[in-house]
Amino acid sequence: MPVNVALGHLSNAFMIATLIIYSLSVFAFAGDFAFGRPRRAAAVRGQQEARDREAALATVGAAPGIPGTSGSAAAGTAAPEASGGPGDPGVPAASGGGGAAGSMPEPAVPAFRAIRAAGRWVIAAVLLSSLGAAAHTTTVITRGLAVHRAPWGNMYEFVTALTCVAVLFFLYVLIRYQVWTLGVFVMGSIVVALGLAETLIYTAPGDLVPALQSYWLDIHVTAMTLATGIFFVAAVLGAVYLWTDRYTRRVAAGQATPGHGIIRRLPSIEQIDRLTYRTVVFGFPVWTFGVIAGGIWADQAWGRYWGWDPVETWAFITWVLYAAFLHARATAGWRGRRAHYVQLLGFTSLIFNVMVVQVFIAGLHSYSGVAG
Amino acid sequence: MTDVRAPESDPFDPAAERDDPPRPGPGSPGGGAFGLADWLKWAWRQLTSMRIALILLFLLAVGTVPGSILPQQGADPAAVQQYYVSHPGLAPWLNRLGLFNVFAAPWFAAIYLLLFASLIGCVVPRTFRLAGSTRSLPPRAPRNLSRLPRSAEYVTTLPPAAAAAVAAKVLSGHGFRLRRPAAGEDAGATGETGPGNGHWVSAEKGYLREAGNLLFHLALLGLLVSVALGGLFGYKADRLLVQGQTFADTTSALDEFHPGRFVTGADLARFTMTLNQFTASYISTGQQRGQPSAFDARVTYTEQPGGPARTGHLAVNRPLSVDGAKVYLIGHGYAPVFKVTDARGQVVYDQATPFVAGATGNFLSEGVVKVPDAQPDQLGFTGVFVPTAANVGGTLESVFPAADNPVVSLIGYAGNLGENAGPAQSVYELDTAGMKRLTASPQALAPGQSLKLPGDRGTITFTGYVPWVSLAITHDPGQLPALICGMAALGGLLLSFMVRRRRVFVRARASQPGAGENGTTVQVGGLARTDASGSFEAEFAALAAELKSAHEQAAPGEPAVSPQPEGE
Ligand code: HEM
Repeated sequence: MPVNVALGHLSNAFMIATLIIYSLSVFAFAGDFAFGRPRRAAAVRGQQEARDREAALATVGAAPGIPGTSGSAAAGTAAPEASGGPGDPGVPAASGGGGAAGSMPEPAVPAFRAIRAAGRWVIAAVLLSSLGAAAHTTTVITRGLAVHRAPWGNMYEFVTALTCVAVLFFLYVLIRYQVWTLGVFVMGSIVVALGLAETLIYTAPGDLVPALQSYWLDIHVTAMTLATGIFFVAAVLGAVYLWTDRYTRRVAAGQATPGHGIIRRLPSIEQIDRLTYRTVVFGFPVWTFGVIAGGIWADQAWGRYWGWDPVETWAFITWVLYAAFLHARATAGWRGRRAHYVQLLGFTSLIFNVMVVQVFIAGLHSYSGVAG
Repeated sequence: MTDVRAPESDPFDPAAERDDPPRPGPGSPGGGAFGLADWLKWAWRQLTSMRIALILLFLLAVGTVPGSILPQQGADPAAVQQYYVSHPGLAPWLNRLGLFNVFAAPWFAAIYLLLFASLIGCVVPRTFRLAGSTRSLPPRAPRNLSRLPRSAEYVTTLPPAAAAAVAAKVLSGHGFRLRRPAAGEDAGATGETGPGNGHWVSAEKGYLREAGNLLFHLALLGLLVSVALGGLFGYKADRLLVQGQTFADTTSALDEFHPGRFVTGADLARFTMTLNQFTASYISTGQQRGQPSAFDARVTYTEQPGGPARTGHLAVNRPLSVDGAKVYLIGHGYAPVFKVTDARGQVVYDQATPFVAGATGNFLSEGVVKVPDAQPDQLGFTGVFVPTAANVGGTLESVFPAADNPVVSLIGYAGNLGENAGPAQSVYELDTAGMKRLTASPQALAPGQSLKLPGDRGTITFTGYVPWVSLAITHDPGQLPALICGMAALGGLLLSFMVRRRRVFVRARASQPGAGENGTTVQVGGLARTDASGSFEAEFAALAAELKSAHEQAAPGEPAVSPQPEGE
């Protein structure tokens, strides 16, 4: 079927609109950083976290048979309202566990109330990001209608679609966990990625080579696009984590003064850590599924499900690195900073695959649609 | 989170949540004599530690990299040859390290075999522990439930014992495994005194999480076995088939045959196949002009010698299953048809000759014609087939991949083809060492045109062209097991990420006399381990609400006091 040129133009127009609206939303998120008011939601979150930390402390500090004192100390300072009373013996060890290790404290304030309470800048930022996301989604859909197929068949379309996934996913995270201050980082990265895609690798709507016409392509690349969008958010969060962590350690070493304006307003480092972990945990099975679907497709196209083609090889490296991240979080001496380096390495290998391997290293997958 | 090899009776035990405990090593003081058995035990412990698993995972990722950067023998032997030519000093060294065949290199095998040994050593004990923990009971309820990550508290008019019984009923209705105090247990164990302290319920759920994690790791092991199965008992073969030709699937008819270690030519599927017609369509307008839009190969085949003939279609992404093997369309090209008459006027050559498309695009294809029967000298030609010819600045170029304006351009040679001496020659190369060039410049021919060879050596006529396809014939017995293991791995992963191991405790105490209330204070506490999906909070809130309303319903008369959920 021929490409619908009018829809193609419409899609391009929406793309420009998306970029403009996103840029404005970054501006609003930044404005919140600079002028936003301290907010209740943050205070609530702080309490909940203090409680979680206290629970963790109480259990770590209380070996069976030894009355835990650290637990009550923490209760006294961090969250007096949560404590059952000073001088409590610690919670018996068997019941403690890392309840806080994997779970994400959620603010109890409903989303809309929290957005209103967070002030004008946040209201504007959330509205603009949502509006931008709507324009972005329209960009992707009209492109798909224009070319009569899933609109992620070349690299430009892939970047457009994955950033759309990243924004939708991040909006969910943003509103659910009310982590307004992360918006400037994630949306800023989105604007950069989209802007680069628009200027460097724009490809006009067109058909696919027959090797790509298979519904397994749709399934495989859809999964890869979804996972990449999710990993994109995880990578930005990981970078924010590393930055915060570096700052915290420099303060501890006396090399920096505490109370850095931006860092102070960020969620706690534990919360960023958990949020990143949860994001990767969400993306990892999707990636795994994408690799399996890719194997099924490769089998139909080339007669083998795995052949260490460069693109396959790098998908495998990416998978192993994310698995290493999940392991690192459960390994002594590796959780925290090092685990996040592993995570960023995983994302680097993913991007390397898309930007370098698919374009410059010849393989069966060379379909990026980018000249040269 | 968990170091699973730590002696662990209870997976929620903080001791097990902590890092690898320091283990006695060869150098540790007080170890006494460290014998061979101790060394082995120590090495095994190291191997199965999370840290080593992590390092091995890393090595696996790093070791894979050269396999994608350097040309690989298995995928592209010609590129490896090319690398030898362009890097004569470096290539032999890379070869010695196995870097041209990474995925078959001993060091690469060492990494993944160690990883899987580690995995077995880690996962098998875990399986036993899981089996054990599904039989054991949850721990006793802690004394102060408000200390737990989730807690709620309210008052009911039910007496403590009845309140605990109602709570137990609600929780077991949700599939929790329960533990109630044995007679006199509570007071004795925690040193509590006072009336009514012994009424509690411990409930636990979500044992599937560990099961999912195990399933995931075991499925990875199964995946490795499946791949090995395919490597040992499968095969892969290639065959170029010109339109109109028939071939029987035997080793002699195949262009290439890569059998697994335990496979011989006798294991080949015994089909025959004829290519009736092949069509390729291309996009003719727009930015993607020249990109293929569809391929279709119509074939006739018999599954067994002498069996009924069937017809079928082969297309990209649409293999044909024949007698346990799969046939794939993996490439195509043009085979110009030449007719050669020699000096005596005899037709010594009349056939389609497959030419192979080069890298320049638009199916500019190269090939050779060898005419060993020509007299007085053997004849040879190197040729270029141009599907849609255009004169671009004096040179012939192809501007479109379809054969819209086909032209061949030939250079003729006469002499000795050298086919009788030396190693077998490629049909795509002409050894001109013993030959004399007949034409100074390449001669272009349109279909039907002839080239008269100088010195009355005869003529060559370009009579037309037919397409050819290249077929891959594969058999992989590990394929289905690999798919099953892949799905199992995914299922295990989802299970381990979505199921949370969680505990809920309920304590019912008689309210302090004089505190204004007369009734029972119910405390509910809960915690989830590795709550990756993060929905325990909602589950806990729902459970706490349900417990409260169950208590209200069971209580006689009096309106209940509103709850005081904490941490809000
Ligand atoms: C083939 C290589 C391996 C891969 C790709 C891999 C992958 C993974 C992944 C993705 C997870 C996260 C799933 C979850 O948290 O439930 C995980 C968890 C885990 N793996 Fe592996 N693994 C491998 C080898 C090993 C080995 C050799 C060990 C033992 C030393 C091991 C022990 C564990 C443990 C204990 C967990 C649970 C960690 C936790 O509680 O969060 N794995 N693995």
